[in-house]
Amino acid sequence: MKTYKYLFLLIGLSIVGCSDLEESPITEISPESYFSSLSLEQVEGFTSGAYAHMVHRNFMSREMTQALMYRSDMMAIGRTGAQERIDMDNFTVQADNALIAGGSNTYWPKVYQIIGAANEAIKAGKLLEEEDEAVLNEVIARARFARAFAYFHLVRQFGDIPYLGDETLLSDAVLAPRTPAAEVYENIIADLKFAKEWLPNTQVSRALPAKSAASAYLADVYLTLEEYQLAYTEAKEIIDNEGLYNLGLEPDFQSLFNSDKSDISIEPIFVLHFTGTADGDQGLDYQAAFTGIRSDGQYTNANGEPVGGGWSVEVPSLAVYTTWDANDYRRTVTFDDKALQNGVLRSYETFTDGDGTAVNRPHVAKYTRMGNGTSTGTNFRGSKSNYYMMRYAEVLMIGAEAANELGIAADAEAWVNRVMARSRAGGIITGGINDGTVIAPSAIPADFSGLDQDSFRTRILEERRLEFAYEMKRWYDIARRKLGATAFGPNGLESVVSTESGVGPGPKSFDPSRDYLLPIPISEILINPNLTQNPGY
Amino acid sequence: MAMIVLVFNMSLFAQDGYVLSGTVLDGANMPIPGVNVLVANSTTGTATDFDGNFQLKVKRGDVIKLSYIGYITQSISITGQETISVVLAEDASQLEEVVVVGYGSQKKSDITGSVSSVKSEDLNAFPLANAEQALQGRAAGVVVQSNNGGEPGAPISIKVRGNTSIGANSSPLIVVDGFVGATMPQANDIESMEVLKDASATAIYGSRGSGGVVLVTTKKGKNGRLSVELNTSYSLQSTSNRLDLLDADEFAAYQQSFRAYEQGMADTDWQDLIYQTGTTANHQFSFSGGSENINFYASANYFKQDGIVVNSDFEKLTFLSNVDAQVTKKLKLGMNLFGSRSTKNGVLTQSTGENANGGGDDVISLAFRFTPDRGIYNADGTFTQNSVGDGIENPWAVANELINETKSDNFRTNLYANYDILDNLSFKTTFGYSTLNETLGQFKPQTFQLSIGYASLENRRRTNLLSENYLTYNAKIGKGNLTMLAGYSYQKQSTVFFGALTQELLSDDFLFYNLGAGQLQSRRVESSFSEWEIQSQFGRLNYDFDDKYLLTATVRRDGASNFAENEKYAIFPSGALGWKISNEEFLKDNETISNLKLRASYGVTGNQAISPYQSLSQLSITPSTDVNTDPSVSVAQEANPDLKWESSYQTNLGLDLGLFSNRISLSLDYYNIDTKDLLLETAVSPAYSGAVDLEVYSNVGEINNKGFEISLSTKNIYNDNFSWTTDFNWAANRNKAVKLNNGDIIDGAAPGYFSSGKDTYIIREGEAIGLFWGHDYQGVYQGGDLPAGTALKESYNQAGDPLFIDVNSDGIINTDDLKTIGDPNQDFTFGITNNFSYKNLDLNIFFQGAVGGEILNLTNVQLYNGDSNALTDIQNAWTPTNTDTSIPSAKIRDREISSRFIEDGSYIRLKNVALGYNFPSDVVEKLGVDNLRLSVSGQNLLTFTKYSGLDPEVSYFGSGGGSTGSSNVVQGHDFGNYPTIRSINFSLNLKF
Repeated sequence: MKTYKYLFLLIGLSIVGCSDLEESPITEISPESYFSSLSLEQVEGFTSGAYAHMVHRNFMSREMTQALMYRSDMMAIGRTGAQERIDMDNFTVQADNALIAGGSNTYWPKVYQIIGAANEAIKAGKLLEEEDEAVLNEVIARARFARAFAYFHLVRQFGDIPYLGDETLLSDAVLAPRTPAAEVYENIIADLKFAKEWLPNTQVSRALPAKSAASAYLADVYLTLEEYQLAYTEAKEIIDNEGLYNLGLEPDFQSLFNSDKSDISIEPIFVLHFTGTADGDQGLDYQAAFTGIRSDGQYTNANGEPVGGGWSVEVPSLAVYTTWDANDYRRTVTFDDKALQNGVLRSYETFTDGDGTAVNRPHVAKYTRMGNGTSTGTNFRGSKSNYYMMRYAEVLMIGAEAANELGIAADAEAWVNRVMARSRAGGIITGGINDGTVIAPSAIPADFSGLDQDSFRTRILEERRLEFAYEMKRWYDIARRKLGATAFGPNGLESVVSTESGVGPGPKSFDPSRDYLLPIPISEILINPNLTQNPGY
Repeated sequence: MAMIVLVFNMSLFAQDGYVLSGTVLDGANMPIPGVNVLVANSTTGTATDFDGNFQLKVKRGDVIKLSYIGYITQSISITGQETISVVLAEDASQLEEVVVVGYGSQKKSDITGSVSSVKSEDLNAFPLANAEQALQGRAAGVVVQSNNGGEPGAPISIKVRGNTSIGANSSPLIVVDGFVGATMPQANDIESMEVLKDASATAIYGSRGSGGVVLVTTKKGKNGRLSVELNTSYSLQSTSNRLDLLDADEFAAYQQSFRAYEQGMADTDWQDLIYQTGTTANHQFSFSGGSENINFYASANYFKQDGIVVNSDFEKLTFLSNVDAQVTKKLKLGMNLFGSRSTKNGVLTQSTGENANGGGDDVISLAFRFTPDRGIYNADGTFTQNSVGDGIENPWAVANELINETKSDNFRTNLYANYDILDNLSFKTTFGYSTLNETLGQFKPQTFQLSIGYASLENRRRTNLLSENYLTYNAKIGKGNLTMLAGYSYQKQSTVFFGALTQELLSDDFLFYNLGAGQLQSRRVESSFSEWEIQSQFGRLNYDFDDKYLLTATVRRDGASNFAENEKYAIFPSGALGWKISNEEFLKDNETISNLKLRASYGVTGNQAISPYQSLSQLSITPSTDVNTDPSVSVAQEANPDLKWESSYQTNLGLDLGLFSNRISLSLDYYNIDTKDLLLETAVSPAYSGAVDLEVYSNVGEINNKGFEISLSTKNIYNDNFSWTTDFNWAANRNKAVKLNNGDIIDGAAPGYFSSGKDTYIIREGEAIGLFWGHDYQGVYQGGDLPAGTALKESYNQAGDPLFIDVNSDGIINTDDLKTIGDPNQDFTFGITNNFSYKNLDLNIFFQGAVGGEILNLTNVQLYNGDSNALTDIQNAWTPTNTDTSIPSAKIRDREISSRFIEDGSYIRLKNVALGYNFPSDVVEKLGVDNLRLSVSGQNLLTFTKYSGLDPEVSYFGSGGGSTGSSNVVQGHDFGNYPTIRSINFSLNLKF
């Protein structure tokens, strides 16, 4: 054979690619390609992103909820003694608490991810000039509502915080000091006003904010800022237009905690809607698992099989139950004091006989009944629950509370008494061992009538505590009305020690000069040393 | 294939003639076994047996060639003689060991860098599931460890000269027969393994050299003899250790000492239930041979291991074939083919806590913590759950009900052509392709109380295309010898991934083979594609003057796609000098010093081992909710256009000394490695930036490794019947974080459900890498005044609670009082092998050990936490009447990372004892075989350590806190490892 043949072979073998080494990922999407054909769809994508983050475990499904639940006087540690929970419950939080700093299951980053996606949407929306203003602004309004909603949680929990708007440059933000709370509130109000202007009167789902949602949150923000006139005006506007906004009270309080009925109820104003589909912890709801009774078979999953109980992790102290009038229908709806453990019906005093890891106290029933018959995961997770962020009863009570402060007694009584009347009417329990039980009307809770301003204030805060029990409202009430010293004092609901599980209720280290605010996460201060810390941490 | 058949035919039907008998002896009249005896210009041949004898069919006029490595080949004309006796003379030039280096080979005496070599004999001293394990304790400065104890099929991690990286993969580059990034072949198929350690040796691999390079050469056929070999071995295995845990009564009493607890009816030893006697079977069949123009080697290997934990096993079938053909005088062609299929059935171990229902999803940690007063089943037939702490399934159920199966198909081929353009100039081109096809199936039945059933199937296909082309030039210039190499290389790797999962299947019988039968809402699909390219130019110059002065210079320019816009290319140079002092006149005739060489090298290597696309800004897609049916988008990460390679600047100083005709040979090496632009996935932006992936790769600082290595081989006794050789190696490495741009890196590797105190280690400027981080335990609080300098935690402030050092003296223990509490870095590691042979018997005794590394015993952190079964030591916990103890009172506390759980992890281990017997030639002849060897060996029979956990060779990386969770920085953590095994092994080797 001739040599040239081999040379030919060698050349053939050695032909190789020459590359410019540019990366062009297919799976990952880059901002360049996403924005290259900017349209309303991209703005929608980011807006949806903001709302998708709200149904992640790290937000109201689990991590932030734990902080709000445990810090209130209504909820105590059940069985599991995770330190970050104990510290929230006992007011021994440090700046590295595992619910806010470091690790993957923290909620501070998640709230900012809601804000980040909303900012991208708003930024993208501003670039779209040809779009129909109303159509575009409706999408931007949803994004701005999401941003306001997220910052409203942060500012109430942390006070001064880094505020990033849609025009903030990251390079500036990483070195910026904390934004004063007052300025954060101004931005929240601006966002909500914009949202109120451009959102429609009604939406296809209460998981999307309508005009009333923006308005209700404005009322809530004003109430928090003690701007009672503004709060009253916002609330009154919603109440006066309840027909237009398709709002009203659900006649049976229990129906709010039944996912079939709550999906079509006109009471919710803004909900986090879980759909029974989850991707990991995205879209997975945990509250029924956290509050449910261990080995309790009274509720079923999507296939009609017993769901196997919850984890007895968030279990109220006994006093919450015993101090609550037994004739108040809301107590019956809020609590399970019986369980069906491995086929044996037990009262709460003997829950641990059915499962050593349960706790012998009544457990919260709002979430387990809501998840009943819908969950596709274990321990109620993957249910079709609606977590109420704002419902019409709250608008009525915000209005009443503000009216009372302004001395407008007629409106105050009229509005709050609609909520009281609904409770007195009783109803039919759905789900669990009491399914179908008819609860007759009762005299409790009585109407508000002829109370002086102080007594009205005291009572309405108590009624808010009961009406919205375990709906993540109570801590914010304690913080805005500075109720901590009483709530966590010797006569507080959690003051009686319960050691059956080794952890649980007991005296608190509540310090009013420190504990109305949480610490700024230490992980953030390490990266941006210009962030200062809240007092006492 | 046709060629191979042809070779068979020719050897089986040799020409007529007669049988010649012969003996081959060396200069000392000792028989030489294994000498190739070949009829010239034919493929007829044989080899001498143990007594140096051979028989070969010849005919008059033939010329037979006798050849053996290290001896001068002799040709003898056949003139009709029936018996011959041949004395082979030693070949001084060939006696020298040849060592494989990047893109070539060199005489060992000409090496200027630092290279450790492990030969086939050491590789097969005892049966290995992974060839990598052969490096443990045998190559100084090379630390080898299973990533998961004795788990069948567990990956092996290799570290060369410490940690040159903290955030990127710094495993050495594996090069098999020139294929860069190949999977390791079976140990039986390997001729030699070389570990390139210093920059002079590794810089030719440029951006992939900083973790060291392991060059693997597989066996090739030898001229003239068809050899058929059968190796078979069988082992029995057991756990090397167990924990001493409470039984049911003791457990109930313990729980009742601090809370109401109703004792269950059963008394279960969960360790008993999940452990079994393991077995390993390994069978290898190979045949090889060749003529002057063609050589071949082909083998098949079957490995099967049933692990010591129920339901864990590994099976692997491997094929290898090497063909080399001298097509013309100038052209040589060859091809390597490798194929394997493995199936790994894993049980869950080394829990990260990520996947756990309330914690504890791995069978090992479950077997420790699960309450002993529960049986496997409840009265209604369902599985029991833990009676304390989080609801978790019992370990027996987890071990038996879950399926976690990985099937891997590996295929690799590499074709080469070598053409001698001139006598001293040759061109070599290789073209290779490999593919790894891996399928992972996971299944969880609905029989679990905490499960509605889960099934998923994932597939990953990774292909690699490699082309390398280089010229080699040799020239003799006066007394000098010059070798030059220049080449170009291109490699591309693509990965396609797809996976699907569902929950709540119609039937558990489907396993993961009918995902459509799952519930619609829970179905998930995902897929991805990624691609990575590297292209390089490289060159090397070796110059040796008068066999005294050696110079090596290499350079490689690499461009890699996975680096950022502004940093795609880099140049990696190195240079080395050697001085063979023993060849100087004044030492040339020295009787004592037979070899003395000094070596010095300096060079730069890189590390680019990060995934593609890390420097680009990205958006993330979140699955839809029902209101918004389109996927939603948010910001995933910001771009880093300046992301660049890690660069290691390494100096190496070495000395090789041979005494008494090299009966004693000693190598000393000192090295210093400065690694700059450390890659780390870290939070650069605060969480409030709103990005979903906060931790992105960036260049964060510098670390330094320096160390000292000793290798010593001695031939202690060497005579006719008895020989004794000793190989000893010792290495010490010191590392230090020199500069950290963003300050301390504190992270954790405890399981996710440890919640508080998840941080377990720190990287801090001026300190060693990965020091343990926690509270400094000072014993039990006895009540009354606090001992000076100590304090209590706010939640645990009673007599009997733990006392800690109050670092900031504020009277309370919180996160401000964390400090470094231990050092997992080993002071030194060593290995010592003694080989004895007496007549046909041989004995190998191999000790291996490490001194000074501390261990964080996370198992004990869990077991002393109160919500768990406990070690029997808990019975000595503090009580008002038992105050003289270091164990705090029994109660539920947070899982505390403190010095209380730091232990000395020093150990020395009898890694292997093997006794072999070669049957004498007269016996084997009667059996019609060339060689028959039986051996029995034992692994991990003895371990000397003070460590209280299961085994001091720990390798738990845990949840790793996300970013730095790699073996580079997570060291010395122990939790839920698959136990190390002790085994007894029987082997048979048969050669035809």
